[in-house]
Amino acid sequence: MTEVSAYESNEYSSITTYFQIDESWKLRTGKGVEVAIIDSGIDADHPALLGKVKESVVARRQEKKVVFEPSDDGDSAGHGTACASIISRIAPDAEFYSIKVLGSGGSGDGQAFLAGLEYAIKKRYRIINLSLGTTRPQLFAPLHDLLDRAYQAGCIVVAAANNLPHPSFPSVFSSSLISVSKDDSTDPFDFGFRYGEVIELTAPGVNIKTAWLNKSYKQLTGNSFACPHIVGIIALLLETYPGLTPFHVKSALYAIAEENQKAKVKDAADQSDDNNETS
Amino acid sequence: MTAHDKFSLEEKLRSVIETVDVANALIEPLTRSIENLLYISAGQMNSEEASVLIRDGSHGDLRFISAIGKVAHQLIDITVPAGKGVAGFVFSSGQPMVIADAGEEDSFYAEVDKQTGYSTQTLLATPLRHKGEVIGVLEYVNRIGDPPYESFTADEMDEAAVFAEAISSLVNAYESAKLFHDFTDQMLTADETTDFADVRKWLDELRSTSEHKEILDLAILVRELASRGEEERKMCRKVLESILEFADGKANTNYLSY
Repeated sequence: MTEVSAYESNEYSSITTYFQIDESWKLRTGKGVEVAIIDSGIDADHPALLGKVKESVVARRQEKKVVFEPSDDGDSAGHGTACASIISRIAPDAEFYSIKVLGSGGSGDGQAFLAGLEYAIKKRYRIINLSLGTTRPQLFAPLHDLLDRAYQAGCIVVAAANNLPHPSFPSVFSSSLISVSKDDSTDPFDFGFRYGEVIELTAPGVNIKTAWLNKSYKQLTGNSFACPHIVGIIALLLETYPGLTPFHVKSALYAIAEENQKAKVKDAADQSDDNNETS
Repeated sequence: MTAHDKFSLEEKLRSVIETVDVANALIEPLTRSIENLLYISAGQMNSEEASVLIRDGSHGDLRFISAIGKVAHQLIDITVPAGKGVAGFVFSSGQPMVIADAGEEDSFYAEVDKQTGYSTQTLLATPLRHKGEVIGVLEYVNRIGDPPYESFTADEMDEAAVFAEAISSLVNAYESAKLFHDFTDQMLTADETTDFADVRKWLDELRSTSEHKEILDLAILVRELASRGEEERKMCRKVLESILEFADGKANTNYLSY
C-alpha cells in the first residue's frame, strides 16, 4: 500500500495522508482512459495499434486561424506512432486521440502546436502526451496560459524535456504539468522523481523499442520516448482511481517513486549483506 | 522620381551593395568553418558521416549545406520535404533523437540512400537553434569502422547538443550572408528588359569604382587578420579603434574650429 501524502515534506512540515493506493493499479490496462497525442500523427494500421486510435485530426491553416479536421493521413514522421506504441505497451486498452500538428506546416509554426493543445483541452482528454517543446520566447506566455487552463480543466499534461542547453517550454512549467526526461532504466514501473528539479520525473528513454512507419519497429533514444512511459503509468492510475486530479496524480507519482527508491536502497543493502556473509 | 529620391536610393543601395560584397567575401570561410567543426565533432562522436541541414523556404523543407564523409558531395543541395525523415521531425518538433536502426522502412532515408548509394544505419539528429528558433538540424550517421554499428548513446546526445550550439551561430551567420548574396544575384541576373536594368548597370559601375574596391579589400584584410588567431584579432581591433578615435577627434576638432 502506497500512502500519497503531502507532496512537499521536510522535518518542519506535518505530513498529511491524502489517500492510499494499493498495488492493484499495476495490473490495470488503462481501459477507457482517453489519451491525446499531439505529434506527427499516428499510424492507426500499425499492428501494435490496431483498433486503439479512436480519432485522428490534423491541423489545417484557414486564413489566420488553425482548424482541426478529421484525417486519415496517418503519421508523417513515425514519432507519434512511436509514442502511442510505448503508451500502449503499458496501458494496452487506453484510447488514443491523434492531434497532428507536425509534418505539413513546417517548423516555427508554433500556432499549430498551441492550437493542438487548446483543442485537446477543449475536448477534455484526460491525459495529453506532449513529446514536443519549443524554445521560442514568444510562445512562453500563451503556453503558460494554456497549461493553466489544462490544469483547471483536469487534463493531465505530460511533456518531454529537451536535452539541450536551453530550457524548452512547456516542460519547464513544472507547477501545472508533469515533465519527464530520459534515463537508461528499462522497467517503466521503476520511474524516478527528482523533487526540486525543474524536470521532475525520469523514465526509460534509451534504446526503446517502438512502432515506426510502414508497420516496422525501431529502437529510439530521446526524452520524447520517456514521456509516453509516464503517460502509460498515469493511464493505469486513472483507470484505478478515475477521480484523480492533476495534483493528485503528481502526488501519487511522487509517492510511488519514493517507494521505488526505498526498494532500491533496500535491495542494495540486502545485496551488500549477502556479499559480507559470503566473504 | 525626383533627383533627391534618386540620390537617397543610390545612397541606400550603395551601402547595401558594400555589405553584400563583404557578405560574399565572408560566406566561403563560413562554410569552411562549419565543415571544420563537423570534422572535429564527428571525430569526437566516433561518427563516419556528419551533416548540417538548414531551412529552405518557409514551409519546413530542409536542405543539406555542409557534409563530411563518403557521400558528402552527393548530399549537398538535396532537399528534405517538410516533416519527412528524422531530420524533418527534429526540425519541426525541436526534439533531438537517436535512431538505432534507420533504414528501409523510413521512406526518406531509403530515398536518400538510393540517390547516394550509402546505407544509413544509426543516426543522431539534434536541432540547431538561434534565439529560440529552430534554424536547422545537425546529424551524425553511422560509426567509424565496419557495421554493425553501435547506436549513439544518451551522453553523445548531450555532446551533440553542445556542438550544435557552436554550429548554430555559424549557420546563422551563413544564412545572413547568403541572404545578401542571393539579393545581389537577383539584381544582377534580372532580365535586361525589366526595370532592374538601370539598377544593374548602376551596380556594375559602382563595383568598378575604386572606392568600392578599397572597401572590399579592407573587409577581406580584416577577415584575413581575424582568422590568424586571438592575438591578431585583438591587435587588429585596437588598431581599428585607434583609427576611429583619431578620425572622431579630427571631426570634433573640425567642428569646434568651425
